[in-house]
Amino acid sequence: MSGVRRARPWLGTIVDIRVDGVDTPRALRAIEAAFAEIASVHRLMSFHAEDSDLARLRLAPAGAPVRVNARTYEVLEWSLRIAAVSDGAFDPTVAAALVERGVLSVPRSIFVPAACADWRDIELLADERVRLRKPLWLDLGGIAKGYAVDRAIAVLHAHGAIHACVDAGGDLRVAGTRAERIAVRAADGGIFTALELSEGALATSTSGNAQHMQGASRHAITAGITASVAAATCMAADALTKVVLANPAAAHTALRIFGAQGRVHEPHRGWRALDLAA
Amino acid sequence: MQVRWLLPIGIGAAATVQVAHAVQYMTVAQAQQAAFAHAARFVPIAADIDTTALGAPAGWKPLIWRVQNASETSGWFFEDAVIGKSELITYALALDASGRITALEVLEYRESHGGEVRLAGWRNQFQGKSVADPVALDRDIRNISGATLSCRHLTEGVHRLLQLYAHVLAARR
Repeated sequence: MSGVRRARPWLGTIVDIRVDGVDTPRALRAIEAAFAEIASVHRLMSFHAEDSDLARLRLAPAGAPVRVNARTYEVLEWSLRIAAVSDGAFDPTVAAALVERGVLSVPRSIFVPAACADWRDIELLADERVRLRKPLWLDLGGIAKGYAVDRAIAVLHAHGAIHACVDAGGDLRVAGTRAERIAVRAADGGIFTALELSEGALATSTSGNAQHMQGASRHAITAGITASVAAATCMAADALTKVVLANPAAAHTALRIFGAQGRVHEPHRGWRALDLAA
Repeated sequence: MQVRWLLPIGIGAAATVQVAHAVQYMTVAQAQQAAFAHAARFVPIAADIDTTALGAPAGWKPLIWRVQNASETSGWFFEDAVIGKSELITYALALDASGRITALEVLEYRESHGGEVRLAGWRNQFQGKSVADPVALDRDIRNISGATLSCRHLTEGVHRLLQLYAHVLAARR
């Protein structure tokens, strides 16, 4: 059985879902439900949409608890965990600096973000409420896509699809024990046969166009670097690529904590492994 | 997680795999059936398209169908293609009788590397080739992880089709 494969534009990219090993009507129902879940994550965590959870946090006075969707809360929990183990190299509060550089357009907000605010100013309270200790703008662009992929895989599983692949513009997760061969596209456009993967995720990020920024220092990352991370979940893989781009030498700890493996490509050095287990 | 890395390490072994990646997701007929399960007929429509007025590229010519149940128009169906820096995307858009989007599906996705997709030579390599017959490909590779592909061109294409509907087709119900 060759499987059923569909693709639709979501999350600012094209999301490709493939289901193998079940009959077509069942695969189509599973894929439809998975796209609906991706649409929900997209709406909740969009930086610009006026009714997203992130927009609601910008439209409430800083310091006031705001209730968010359970999914947004979960992504924030993971964001803070990754920010902590990376010493802020991954930081979901870099939005204001990205707006300043013209990478993101200015969002509607009732406050001006404080320059000194960072991930430590996000407080997660009981009952899925979030409190911002300082005025800041949240941007989950570095992790929400991976989370959406994980949610889609969970929905496919719930619909009986065991062998599947969800690929959100290159951040992907393979479900099932059959190994899939995956290529990686480096920043210079070169494509490399990269790995065989089963029951896991792979995300790749490249630096350039100033869209990535070292969280702690707010410095733009040198262009032309490609980071690929394999991890159990696509959310971890997605976020950890940003940690690797920010500082490849210091990414070991974060990768180890999440049981992840990383590879970095630089124009004049080729590929190298970041994990000792490789 | 089970991982077996195949990447060459170091500059010496940096052999690039040349890939012309292509995926066919749906045929036009499949997309039509999925969007209008009970539709009776798909009637091709020839429309004079003023590309300048719609801000569309010269020569833009999407395929248009009026969807009819008995003599009633129950919706519209379009097949169009958009070109990005290195990708060519064919997609289908379905509208209900009032012009609301009911389905948007990528039909085919093709990408190449080492050149701009607008170059005639690049596009010609696909002439007469089906997706099942890719140009040069590690056949085991079904996904590529990498610099996230933008859906901007596709979004722009959908906006053009909605303009076309509003200015040309809506009056033809």
